Amino acid sequence: MSNVNAITFTIVLILFVVVTGVGFAAARWRRTENMLHLDEWGLGGRGFGTFITWFLLGGDLYTAYTFIAVPALVFGSGSIGFYAVAYTILVYPIIFIFLPRLWSVSRVHGYVTPADFIRGRYGSRGLALAAAFTGILALMPYIALQLVGIQAVLTVMGVGASSTNTFVKDLPLFVAFLVLAIFTYVSGLRAPAMIAFIKDTLIYLFVIVAVFYIPTRLGGWDHIFGVAQAHFAAISPATKKPLGTFVPVAKSIGSTRLDFASLALGSAVALFLYPHAITGTLAAKRRSAVQRNMIYLPLYSVLLALIALFGYMAVADPVTAANVKKSGNAQLAVPYLFQHMFPSWFTGIAFAGIIIGALVPAAIMSIAAANLFTKNIFVEFFKQDASPALETRMSRWVSLVVKLGALLFAVELPHTFSINLQLLGGVWILQLAPMLIGGLFTRWFHRWALLTGWLAGMVFGTLAAYNVSSATASHWAGSSDIEFGHTVYIGLSAVILNLVITVVLTLVLRAARVPQGPDETLPHEYTADPDQKPAPAPAAVGAPLEN
Amino acid sequence: MTEATARSRSAIAAHPVTSAAITILVVADIFLALYVPLYSRLTPKWGDFPFFYWYLLIVMPVTSLLLWLAALLQKRLAGPGTAVPGVTGPGSTGPGSTGPVGTGPASEAGSEGVQ
Repeated sequence: MSNVNAITFTIVLILFVVVTGVGFAAARWRRTENMLHLDEWGLGGRGFGTFITWFLLGGDLYTAYTFIAVPALVFGSGSIGFYAVAYTILVYPIIFIFLPRLWSVSRVHGYVTPADFIRGRYGSRGLALAAAFTGILALMPYIALQLVGIQAVLTVMGVGASSTNTFVKDLPLFVAFLVLAIFTYVSGLRAPAMIAFIKDTLIYLFVIVAVFYIPTRLGGWDHIFGVAQAHFAAISPATKKPLGTFVPVAKSIGSTRLDFASLALGSAVALFLYPHAITGTLAAKRRSAVQRNMIYLPLYSVLLALIALFGYMAVADPVTAANVKKSGNAQLAVPYLFQHMFPSWFTGIAFAGIIIGALVPAAIMSIAAANLFTKNIFVEFFKQDASPALETRMSRWVSLVVKLGALLFAVELPHTFSINLQLLGGVWILQLAPMLIGGLFTRWFHRWALLTGWLAGMVFGTLAAYNVSSATASHWAGSSDIEFGHTVYIGLSAVILNLVITVVLTLVLRAARVPQGPDETLPHEYTADPDQKPAPAPAAVGAPLEN
Repeated sequence: MTEATARSRSAIAAHPVTSAAITILVVADIFLALYVPLYSRLTPKWGDFPFFYWYLLIVMPVTSLLLWLAALLQKRLAGPGTAVPGVTGPGSTGPGSTGPVGTGPASEAGSEGVQ
């Protein structure tokens, strides 16, 4: 473990230095007069066209989760891991329904965060606070997961792994994250937007090479699928059940078709409720740039499907399978596979791709969380007269704090724990669906009903996820639960509960004529495309509201 | 609110076939990936790939294609000078031009001709 391959290490280091340089240079990219404005630091000036938005969203949505966690699940459990493939297909028709409306209304009113929209739509600071809190909460473990992905690569590279001292062991991770934190502070959203170009080039390169090259080393696809099918049909001595499934099955042997479909649907609806996905969307210049990206982004899904297949390649390669088994960490499957299959220099390119692929979304996520805190908690509750410059300075500092918190998550908690917390993040963020997606189409829901439904969904989802146990963990062991005799994704059952409560209470509150609160949006603003008009200053939204 | 809703409903009423077609395209796309029994099987194989695996790979470009068609139809649905609507539901097709200046992007000039 302790012998670091010099060639691999050098290439990773060179690419990392290049990316760092680009991150700092990005501050000068499309520079405007007044950089001390949240629209500039937090949304890159709201000026990205179709092409840059494609790279930015691709870099934003396809994270270490894609490169490390999905193949790890495929390696461990087989076809259930492909729910992620179905999910990245489903997400596009679903966002086709609501995302352009969110972009338009946010552009007209200068909304920076999803909670800004909630506040404007329902005239409720409390509901906006709930949305901001949920967003930040769900992002923390997601950022931590990016670090776990970087750690997986560093472990296989052998960097620092020989030391038992936690600080020395994680020093490379600290260095990588410190650099990320500083260039995000300086350049804002421009940095990940620019680095996304390098990230995607590296990822497409190594995925395409791997997909064509590795099967030739492993006796072809037929052999890979054959080994995987036999492997997952074998009965586990521990559970007396098959190790996994090769296609989703109707009967329950750990995962079913319904489980597969509910995980895919829940994740697909959740994705564009995440603040970082919305940040990437709102940075677009035109409504058509958002719409076109729904047509072009499925290209990334092909990439994800191919990456998921790396899980089967790792099963079919005896050396990789043995290495992963010895480490007891399925997340090392892809790094070990590359290390065994590729020459050192190409392994370096692939590893750099994964590390940079984790840094880009981590940067966007910390910016999104910082914007939420600044706009919807700091300014809203503590300093209503904050200037745009103060908002920007605040966001910059919060982005550092958020990353520090995530770093503690990643270093202190066991890795399996962190993975499950990410799934819990999905459970939480889904509870925003009724107020956010619902609110884009109708003002029928009552704000207090939405708040009660949200609370019920959060409590139920958190408790249900906490109570999932497995052979190795007593709590947080998974994200699916048995409801009425069927295994389904907890996020989906929680949001259904949330919706039912919201509907029932809305009927009651409307019948009782409880005040609805002001709505500052107008119907035509949801389809507006103010192409020529500069976005209004966000300060315009900050007028005090009675709650 | 009521005026806008009424006007957008009339926009859908004016193009019932187009509206229905957009809805069908989006719903069909969701169904193709969500209804797992449709593809959770091994045969027919394509090359070395079992059905489950090549089906998912094929559905990706199909998604792009269906959403591209839906976006094209939406441009027809939106009247001249109107922004492209997000979806076919009530209240979604905006009542005419929205911004104070030049809201109709140049690319929509072609779609006006279609009408």
